Amino acid sequence: MRWFETPDFNFLKAHKIAYVVSGILLVASIIGIVTKGLQYGIDFKGGKEFVLEFEQPVEVLDIRSELTGPLGGAPEVKLFGSPSDVLIRTDDPGNITEVQNTITQAMAQLYPDNSADVIKTDIVGPRFAEDLKAGALNAIIFALIVIFIYILIRFKDWTFSAGAVAALFHDVMIVLGIFTIFGDLAPFSMQIDQAIIAAFLTIVGYSLNDTVVVFDRIRENSTLFKTMEHDEMVNKSLNDTLSRTVITSITTLFVVTVLFIFGGEVLKGFSFALMLGVVIGTYSSLFVASSTVVELQRRRQNA
Amino acid sequence: MQGNGTKIGFIVAFLAMSIYYLWPTVANTLEQNYIQDLPEAERTEYREENAQRLQNLREESLSLGLDLQGGMHVTLEVGTAQLVRELAGEYADTTLSNVIETAQQRALQNDTDFINEMVQVFEEQNPNGRLSRYYRSEAENITRRSTNEEILAYLQSQRDSAVDRAMEIIRTRVDRYGVTEPAIFVQGNNRVVVELPGVANKERIRSLLKGTARLEFRLVAEPDQISTARQQIVGYYNRQVASDTSDSVQQSSGQNNPLAEVLSTQTRSGYAFGYTTGRDTARVNELLQKPEVQELIPRNMTLMWGASPFQTTQQGQELFELIGVRPQVEMTGEVIEEASVNFDQATNQPRVSMNMNSEGARRWSRITGANIGKPIAIVLDGYVYSYPNVESKIANGRSSISGLESQAEAQDLVNILLSGALPAPLEIIEERTVGATLGEASIQAGFYSTLIGLVIVAIFMIIYYRAGGGIADLALLLNIIFILGILAAFKATLTLPGIAGIVLTIGMAVDANVLIFDRIREEQRTGKTLRAAIEGGYANAMSAIVDANVTTFFVGIILYSFGVGPIKGFAVTLMAGIVASLFSAIVITRVVVDYLTRERSAELSFG
Repeated sequence: MRWFETPDFNFLKAHKIAYVVSGILLVASIIGIVTKGLQYGIDFKGGKEFVLEFEQPVEVLDIRSELTGPLGGAPEVKLFGSPSDVLIRTDDPGNITEVQNTITQAMAQLYPDNSADVIKTDIVGPRFAEDLKAGALNAIIFALIVIFIYILIRFKDWTFSAGAVAALFHDVMIVLGIFTIFGDLAPFSMQIDQAIIAAFLTIVGYSLNDTVVVFDRIRENSTLFKTMEHDEMVNKSLNDTLSRTVITSITTLFVVTVLFIFGGEVLKGFSFALMLGVVIGTYSSLFVASSTVVELQRRRQNA
Repeated sequence: MQGNGTKIGFIVAFLAMSIYYLWPTVANTLEQNYIQDLPEAERTEYREENAQRLQNLREESLSLGLDLQGGMHVTLEVGTAQLVRELAGEYADTTLSNVIETAQQRALQNDTDFINEMVQVFEEQNPNGRLSRYYRSEAENITRRSTNEEILAYLQSQRDSAVDRAMEIIRTRVDRYGVTEPAIFVQGNNRVVVELPGVANKERIRSLLKGTARLEFRLVAEPDQISTARQQIVGYYNRQVASDTSDSVQQSSGQNNPLAEVLSTQTRSGYAFGYTTGRDTARVNELLQKPEVQELIPRNMTLMWGASPFQTTQQGQELFELIGVRPQVEMTGEVIEEASVNFDQATNQPRVSMNMNSEGARRWSRITGANIGKPIAIVLDGYVYSYPNVESKIANGRSSISGLESQAEAQDLVNILLSGALPAPLEIIEERTVGATLGEASIQAGFYSTLIGLVIVAIFMIIYYRAGGGIADLALLLNIIFILGILAAFKATLTLPGIAGIVLTIGMAVDANVLIFDRIREEQRTGKTLRAAIEGGYANAMSAIVDANVTTFFVGIILYSFGVGPIKGFAVTLMAGIVASLFSAIVITRVVVDYLTRERSAELSFG
């Protein structure tokens, strides 16, 4: 089977449309993040989180109102993968054991015939949460710097570094924006926690993979086709690698979708971020990274 | 074929190594299944007979993370500020307290080291002062002349040894509690991480880890003193209420004394200040904390809560006493040499009996002798466990702690007392537990995801690249064995994100082959022969493959250094996946492709 045997799409011509699309997505993401704020999960916010497994389905709203009194404030209550599993998050500063007892006692009162097991707990102190947040931020910044330097060394041209990092920034911001804006609507947790940061860095790695393959072809073609217009040559490189870009995206999208469906509730947010990342990362290596390089090089020549 | 000889050698060696490291894991799984199938009666016998072998197998196996096997992960922080304060001992003054407080805030805000901040704050506030005035010690060779840098080094070394000691003490306690294969290690400069697989009773573990077990023997206050203080404090709140109600006319009705609302004063003994329900103890503490109220409490009296309820009401409410004791500590638990659990013959309640060393026995004899007919409070970590009356002078150095809730609590207390007191208080700053059932569900989810992902990608590759795809699939299968082999060889832990990393690798591992095969197709389009196209395809795809994988590997390293726990597991499998897939895509498929096209002269189709 062969797709894109000898494709001849004009990617650079489409880049104006791509700039508009990316621009709208980026601005919407940034507005969403600024107005709504990043929706941190327990790792970065701190607090106490309990997952209770009931024997029969339960009502989230009933649980929330039942717990509001004893916990001194409404807790976050969400279903956790099935109608009989719930996740309860509270900022109650009390002793861990007491808070857990308060919850299990209140649940025994609310559902006398439907007993619950605590199957997962996460308690993160505020200071530890700050440390984790700093660690995550450092990891992302550090990753971007290392990538910038590596590409600078390999391709000996800062415009490639800038193009790659711009594409990565683009991908992460848009996924972050989608997570922030649509987080409340999803039936699974889309809060930013450590796993999501790991997903972001994987997206960075993946998208970079795509971008680097294209850059590599540009470098190769620029020595082979010296007479060709620069723009045309970049476009040819994108077309040359298109089949590979699409096939790898498809196989990767297959596996992350499998993870999303079969990987269990714990991995839902993580695999969803990866799904978005693969799609956006593929788009950005085709339409954002190379056209940024071309644009930067054109400006450098004119300057 | 000479080049390929080396390659085949590498493949065989790599495969043999993977199988060698994975073998214990397979054997262990087989053993466990075998044991499961044995009749109940024979299981224990079989386990005992083969204990050593089974344990070896378990230790050599690829270990599962707590998120997969269930268990408890706790991060404890050593209270550096308290340690620094205690080291100053009698030299501590308000200047030092202020410095410590400011430094604590700064360390928190700037995410810096507390001890560095402390020295800096001290120098800012006292430009000509020397920290040595708080930490003079001949043993440590610190004199009045020691510089602040020397003190800094001294405090840091004290902190480090406190963390090490804390870790050792925790290890002793956990071992005595009986957890199989606990992991205990230091993280950063003042944290201890404890990982306990298969632990269910979280409450016991928490108190076991945190328990400083500071055992004190104190005299109690005079009943007259206690009742006078009580009258004055209740009176203070009466006056408060009166002045409040006269201020605002609207609230004139139904304003009661806030302390009387939560604290009952009809105590069973003269040594109790009052009692209340477990829930209201916090409210009472709050009311008593007021500076005006603190002034009404005599200097030679401290109020401490009873550790366990002295009575449970018919409604099931547990009542706790507030007891007036002396601030001076007559003796501490350091003199305890032996401790054991037994039962009080009169009440049949569990208690901990203690034997003191000779110096302790001498002092205990003096203390009891001087206080016949009076109670002595036995205080553990700030709670009064009991305050029995001294009936006669005790010369044999024996004492006991009663007022314990269960035999398990008594057992843990013995454990804590004997493992030694922690050098500084520990605080739980992170705790994560996963139930065994959730862990099992995660293993299943991970297994199915891997299987389904593998099948879908394999089918797709065959459809798209035909024979070439089939070869890539073979490489993919070996790839998974290599990844697991690498993990086992490096004694890495398999976590749920780690499995996700393997699944992700399945999708991305074919990338190198996709690059190569697409290149081969391109070469074929230019009219080259199959052999030439294959040569060109592999050669030309190489630089793209290397660049793409090196950058992803960097990301893996970064994730590994910044991530914690399960995320580290993800980073490890990601990196192992890159190494394995590079090898299998470049070396293995090449060997197979060469063999088929050269030796068999097969017309290999790349779709």
